[in-house]
Amino acid sequence: MAETVVETKVETSLGTPWNVVVHDDPVNLMSYVTMVFQRVFGFTKQKAQHHMLEVHHKGRSIVWTGARERAEFYVQQLHGYLLLATLERAE
Amino acid sequence: MLIRRLKEDAIEFIQIEPIEAGLLQEVPGVCDSGGDDQSDARLYSSPADSSENQFLNDWAEYVRPELRHLFLSARKTVKEDLEKLSDVPGRLRRLVIPRAHSDAWLNVLNQARLILAAKFNFTARELSTHSAPKWFSRRELVLQQINFYAEIQERIIDATEE
Repeated sequence: MAETVVETKVETSLGTPWNVVVHDDPVNLMSYVTMVFQRVFGFTKQKAQHHMLEVHHKGRSIVWTGARERAEFYVQQLHGYLLLATLERAE
Repeated sequence: MLIRRLKEDAIEFIQIEPIEAGLLQEVPGVCDSGGDDQSDARLYSSPADSSENQFLNDWAEYVRPELRHLFLSARKTVKEDLEKLSDVPGRLRRLVIPRAHSDAWLNVLNQARLILAAKFNFTARELSTHSAPKWFSRRELVLQQINFYAEIQERIIDATEE
């Protein structure tokens, strides 16, 4: 019984998508955040501005959702640009 | 001061006033937070909440040193570029940097602004205020310095996108 519980947990963990979330920061410039989104995710300028404005107005924006390893990579990239970025389990 | 693209592979800062040259030369020093906890907390912010214990430990062990190396490397690039700031008596100064260094400049200017904002506890409201201060204090002058570095960042972004 215990073994079954463990297996289920691992499977769930592997299958769960993860969000890369960028949080509002009064120091980072809007133009800079837009540029970073374009560089890191390859967004068009329009899409990058959409997420930047979402961060600015709502305090956060989910900029990417997918596999855990890739999400960790993106969070690291964003920290390299000094953005406030976190990894969150997608609901 | 004007900042513009020079040919394909360089960015030129011209008509640099003495006070502007001084502020530019201060950038690498400002980035040395001297172990200030608030500054370090902002430069190396948490990548997840505390439930991600193992991830946070791995991050501290492997990723944080990489980030530190990245930030120090960018500072070194900017410091070396600043050593090329022209200095002809009686003339405004000029600086030409390789376009490939623009990321290092944007990063270092960001480091400087984040550290100053953290050290002086500026609020979001203060940071978005661009009106002239009614009186000057060290704090007001630092806010002007943050805004000056923001302006340089904007112009470098414009120059790289031209």
